[in-house]
Amino acid sequence: MKTIAVIFGGQSAEHDVSIVTAIASIIRPLQLTKEYDVQAVYIAKDGSWYWDNKLKNIELFTTGEIDNFLKKAPKVQIVFDHGLTLVKTRQFTNRKTYKKIDIVFPAMHGTHGEDGDLMGLLNMAGVPYVGCGVAASAIAMDKVLAKLIAEAHGVLTPKMQFTTKSDFEHDPQSFIDAVNKQLTYPLFVKPAHLGSSIGITKVTDKNQLANALELAAHYDTKILVEEAVPNLIELTLPIMGNEQPIPAFLEQPLTSSEHFFDFDTKYMNSGKKGGKKGGAQGYSIIPAAIDAALYKKAEDVGLAVYRAVGCEGIARVDMLVDSITSKVYFNEVNPLPGGLYAHNWQKKGISKTQLVQKLIDYALQRQHSASDLSTTFKTSYLRQF
Amino acid sequence: MYNPFYFSTVIAYMLQNTEYQIRPYLTWYIRLKNIKKVMYRRKLEPTRAAKALRLFVLLGVSTQMIVSIILFVTLLGASWIGPFLAAILYFTAPTVWALLVVVPLWFGRVIISNPKEKRLIKASALLFKKHPAHKIVVAGSYGKTSMKELLGSVLSTEKKVAITPANKNVALSHALFARRLKGDEDILVIELGEGKNGDVKRFCETIGPDTVFITGIAPAHLDQYVSLDQAATDIFSATNFVSPSSVYVNTENQYTAVYIKEGYIQYNAAGASEAKASKVKQSLNGVSFHIKTPKASYEVQAPLLGKHLVGPLCAAVQLAERFSITKQSILQALAGLQPYEHRMQPRYLASGAYLIDDTYNGNIEGMKAGLALLNDLPAKRRIYVTPGLVDQGSETHAVHTQLGAAIAASAVDVVVLMNNSAQPIIQAALSAANYSGELRVEDDPLYFYTHIEDITAAGDVVLLQNDWPDNYA
Repeated sequence: MKTIAVIFGGQSAEHDVSIVTAIASIIRPLQLTKEYDVQAVYIAKDGSWYWDNKLKNIELFTTGEIDNFLKKAPKVQIVFDHGLTLVKTRQFTNRKTYKKIDIVFPAMHGTHGEDGDLMGLLNMAGVPYVGCGVAASAIAMDKVLAKLIAEAHGVLTPKMQFTTKSDFEHDPQSFIDAVNKQLTYPLFVKPAHLGSSIGITKVTDKNQLANALELAAHYDTKILVEEAVPNLIELTLPIMGNEQPIPAFLEQPLTSSEHFFDFDTKYMNSGKKGGKKGGAQGYSIIPAAIDAALYKKAEDVGLAVYRAVGCEGIARVDMLVDSITSKVYFNEVNPLPGGLYAHNWQKKGISKTQLVQKLIDYALQRQHSASDLSTTFKTSYLRQF
Repeated sequence: MYNPFYFSTVIAYMLQNTEYQIRPYLTWYIRLKNIKKVMYRRKLEPTRAAKALRLFVLLGVSTQMIVSIILFVTLLGASWIGPFLAAILYFTAPTVWALLVVVPLWFGRVIISNPKEKRLIKASALLFKKHPAHKIVVAGSYGKTSMKELLGSVLSTEKKVAITPANKNVALSHALFARRLKGDEDILVIELGEGKNGDVKRFCETIGPDTVFITGIAPAHLDQYVSLDQAATDIFSATNFVSPSSVYVNTENQYTAVYIKEGYIQYNAAGASEAKASKVKQSLNGVSFHIKTPKASYEVQAPLLGKHLVGPLCAAVQLAERFSITKQSILQALAGLQPYEHRMQPRYLASGAYLIDDTYNGNIEGMKAGLALLNDLPAKRRIYVTPGLVDQGSETHAVHTQLGAAIAASAVDVVVLMNNSAQPIIQAALSAANYSGELRVEDDPLYFYTHIEDITAAGDVVLLQNDWPDNYA
């Protein structure tokens, strides 16, 4: 039986979303397969790592009991020994417990988790892991970079301007002037690296722009401003696979050009303003209610972006469609969709248990391909010294 | 050592879940391995009886433990025998009071419950005798509640009908039902339970039926009946109280054939007597078929699952015509039927799969009917979940072997069994029949049921058949 470590939490604005993704969509289905020894590895908001079976229980987090747990639980050390081993030292006896990890299932959204940092660590350890690699994760997490790559591959993107936090703080007016000169309102101001709609503002006139930019700069070091797509239909496409990606259903969030979903609406109100508690997946049409030609066009755009960015394992590509012109714009790519977008895969006929198993297969497949590559070779370089 | 508060609650829970029956309670207690798992699914309902018994056990256990501690301390030092006996007294407290609790239970039954029940039953015989309504009794090893509800729905469109509530089908339930009647009812539909030999005959003596329905015979309650034959004889004893033309028997059931007498109305997939069924179709929306009787033709659309319901529906139509219910009312009643709770009740899961909840099904005939339905439904994956059957007595092995063979003969992709005494028998039958699908064995049924959405997706159809009460393993 292979041992899988599900790593979740992390020092990110999406820490709490990560907990739900890990426990409901990864740990529980993995346990239900009965094929893996599942280990829960939690990264607290202070960056400390913990490893314990109690962390598999969502009630530990929903009741706030996690704070007491963290006070008592030993922190985890990691050993890189031809792979990854978790080490836990008991407080009084000093006895060490070891757990060799065969596969890692990252379940961290946002900073350090989804941006390639964790993947770099896992690459160094030489342990196979689920999902996108370092480069794809880093590109996907930078909305500006992802759009530039998509454009380079002939995919339409909304007209945009971007700046860094330091440049903006040094001379805000020149960026504001550039935006006003180059772009047409309404606009969206976004932190370039954050997901879950955090820090995003819709700006309808010039007076709102400065505040929106400051808000985005509060969350991120890079700020993106782009034109809103008129006659908007939002579409999102979960995709999985390595060389031969497979799309789920195109999903259509129930929104309009007048509205967008901020974090609370998306995750706290079941997608409806003032709606009931229910998570991020209660507000969309699956499959999207669009004509067949547009469906195919959007699906092709999604797959093209997935390949262009170099995604592997799983990702979700978001698109914006002008319903009058039928133009499909790439919006962003998410290398770890919340809850793995299991609700969509289920509609496609893939259960949560099947989904996690397929993702593990892709991870092993990638590791197998990578193992064929030479990473070292003999040189005479040192002899000259 | 057990916490006396927790222990007494568990004992009261076990008594409550065995309906305060001494034998099933003791059987459960003797078999009990882990007291912490007893209240895993549910909690104690704090009724008066449960609270009184909990207090009895709590006081008993606590007193014995305190006395033993005092004895231990007092006798310490003199000889080892005294403290040793005190320790034994301490550690046996839970067992002693778990057994002693049946004493007040037995006295309560003999002194209070039984005489009161007898008085009520005697009074109900008089009430039934005086009542002018047409009395229909429904007996059988399975399908009684569904048949009773079906008759109630169809006949009540134009008649004043009273039916016994839920699955309340023993003498005391009948007596309480009789007390609540207003006296102006046209028809009474009464379900007859069978627990031990002679039950059905006794119920009929009290009720005095005018029409009898026998819904089928199957191995059930065989821990009380000596044999299936004895159970069938008891159930068919109801037919002695009416003329043959007032007896309706489900002949789709293999065991009823030998008890059929001339004049009985036999109902099955082909119809009921002159009511002939044809063009039967089934889906997750229900069954649709055509009935032709000497009086009328009916295009039936009933939102109930399973072809096995064609016979009962035809019988209900045939009886409704006897009561001169109009065609329009009959069709309206059939179209308005709702699946009965936990009996082939379809549910759409958030995962996109369909689940058919047949967890109240507790007999092999019902299991086969469910498998036939599952086999017939279009699905990407057919998932069949069962813990097996209980109360099968000496038939246990044979019945579960039949069940395993029936599963293997169906187009089931995934079989989910529970880790219990029936599982090895079913699994052996599956192997013997070279079943090639996926087999899962679950240690924790509740965990599996709670997370069934995680293993299913759109296109899957899941059939849950039977659910073992807590006192079986």
